[in-house]
Amino acid sequence: MTHFFRALPDLVRVGLAGVAAYRAEMAIWILSATMPLVMLALWDAVAAEGPIAGLDALDLGRYFVAALVVRQLSSAWLLWELNQEIRSGRLSTRLLKPMHPLLQHGVDMLVAVPLRLLVLSPVLVGLALLRPDLVWLPTLPHAIAFAFALAAAWAVNFLIQALFAILSFWIDKSDALFGVWFGLYSLLSGYVAPMDVFPEGVARVLRLLPFRAMLGGPVEILAGLSTPAEIATDLAVAWGWTFALLALVLVGWRIGVRRYGAFGA
Amino acid sequence: MNLRKVYRVPEKDPGFAGTLRSLWSRRFRDVVAVDGIDLRVKPGERIGLLGPNGAGKTTTLKMLTGLLHPTSGSCTVAGRRPQDRHPDFLRAITLVMGQKQQLLWDLPATDTFLLNRALYDLEPAAYARTVDELVTLLDLSSFLQRPVRNLSLGQRMRCELAAALLHRPTVLFLDEPTIGLDVEVQASVRAFVRDWNVRHGATVVLTSHDMNDVAALADRIVLVDLGVVRFDGSIADLNERFGAGRKLTVQGAGTEAVGALGFSAAPGGGFVQIVPRAEVNGLLVRVLEACPHADVSVADPPLEEVLTRAFGQTRQLREQAGHAP
Repeated sequence: MTHFFRALPDLVRVGLAGVAAYRAEMAIWILSATMPLVMLALWDAVAAEGPIAGLDALDLGRYFVAALVVRQLSSAWLLWELNQEIRSGRLSTRLLKPMHPLLQHGVDMLVAVPLRLLVLSPVLVGLALLRPDLVWLPTLPHAIAFAFALAAAWAVNFLIQALFAILSFWIDKSDALFGVWFGLYSLLSGYVAPMDVFPEGVARVLRLLPFRAMLGGPVEILAGLSTPAEIATDLAVAWGWTFALLALVLVGWRIGVRRYGAFGA
Repeated sequence: MNLRKVYRVPEKDPGFAGTLRSLWSRRFRDVVAVDGIDLRVKPGERIGLLGPNGAGKTTTLKMLTGLLHPTSGSCTVAGRRPQDRHPDFLRAITLVMGQKQQLLWDLPATDTFLLNRALYDLEPAAYARTVDELVTLLDLSSFLQRPVRNLSLGQRMRCELAAALLHRPTVLFLDEPTIGLDVEVQASVRAFVRDWNVRHGATVVLTSHDMNDVAALADRIVLVDLGVVRFDGSIADLNERFGAGRKLTVQGAGTEAVGALGFSAAPGGGFVQIVPRAEVNGLLVRVLEACPHADVSVADPPLEEVLTRAFGQTRQLREQAGHAP
């Protein structure tokens, strides 16, 4: 691991050069992921008639603005990269290097976060001008808790994608399977509706699943909608999933790479 | 040793009905790509793995570099089991694939160098020295700052070689390193690899369909077909075993008389005859008796010819073994 930290400055430098080379493509991609803004408009209209599950129009508005931020900053595209590398044989180049390919990919994806912030900023400035009540500064404790929740959200997202990508060692189109996962994610993570609108029993179960760790948990912390007890539970669940998924990914990788065909390489 | 690799390949009947059938009853066929290869390579040696397409040479190379796990058997490269991909092993080897690239496509080659410095954990001073050496030897300075996508194939391959050697590996695996390159770049790549082998004592394991690569780079040839080693020895041994004999060429005025000795007219002028090795001296005496002023040369037949004969023989074995040609 000390090798990784020694390598980090160069990995970041080259990663940033890569991000800069694809800046236009990436900016378009980031801007196209504005589903939370659509949901904001939708829920804003619904909440005009009165609070829903204890959330008023302002809560819902801030929830979806926070969802936009979390979605952007916890984003990864490992599944598509790795799936392609495994199927085309391009993974060989990474396998021949004395650093785990997932670490290399992890850095590549993390260095895109500053660009995402950069592209997101004008959207947030626009929102602040149009609806100043929807842009706020979290309290320091909330900001700290949010940082931990966001880190876990990114890690869970990255590791879930790694798990699906590892399936490419066995099946050709693991990215199609991920479509099923994404459907569940959209419904159960708080992406289209806050978790509070679900019946209480269902919401209690959802709080323990990884979906919430990927979006709903950090969003509620950022929007100031979580109690300290809920924050503690959310962080414990999120980091629990992170470590469990990490173990699964490492074992899955070890088994899967034995089946690697190095096609075309 | 006794390295074996069997691929399990799915099979499906053609058409929509075949696709539907394969949904509930998938059929697989075992394809033996490497069938018990035994090979010992000394440090600093240059060997060429040769064989027709599908012979098993690239699969062997992939097992030796740890990309593929052998189905059975074992091997040790640089003191390690390749498939464990131990960092010490990965630092000791490199693989250059003529048809694949490791260079970052939209960035200058220097960015790939920087990335490799990080990945191999190279000490800055040693890295700078190696870059300087490689830039000079491969004459890279004029295009090092250009995005890789804007380089010619030859420039790209030279940068690939540099990127692959930054960590000064002791074992070089080269898979078709000159494929698609023009004659001049091919020659410079060969000269560079040879020079690197001599300078640093690095072991070179090469696969190529280009006989000039083999002749220039390999001291030892290993013929692989049907996943087994059919021949292992020097080029001279190969000539001895598969060459039809030596090629005698007679040139000069008044040499038509050699026609009576079995020579035939060569397309480029003069007369030629392929003679079994044991008969060369006797024939030479008779040629010089018939034409005392003739210009006579004796040479091994071109490597390409010898290998064509060798592959022909292994093809017969292949057909006898019931494999598709």
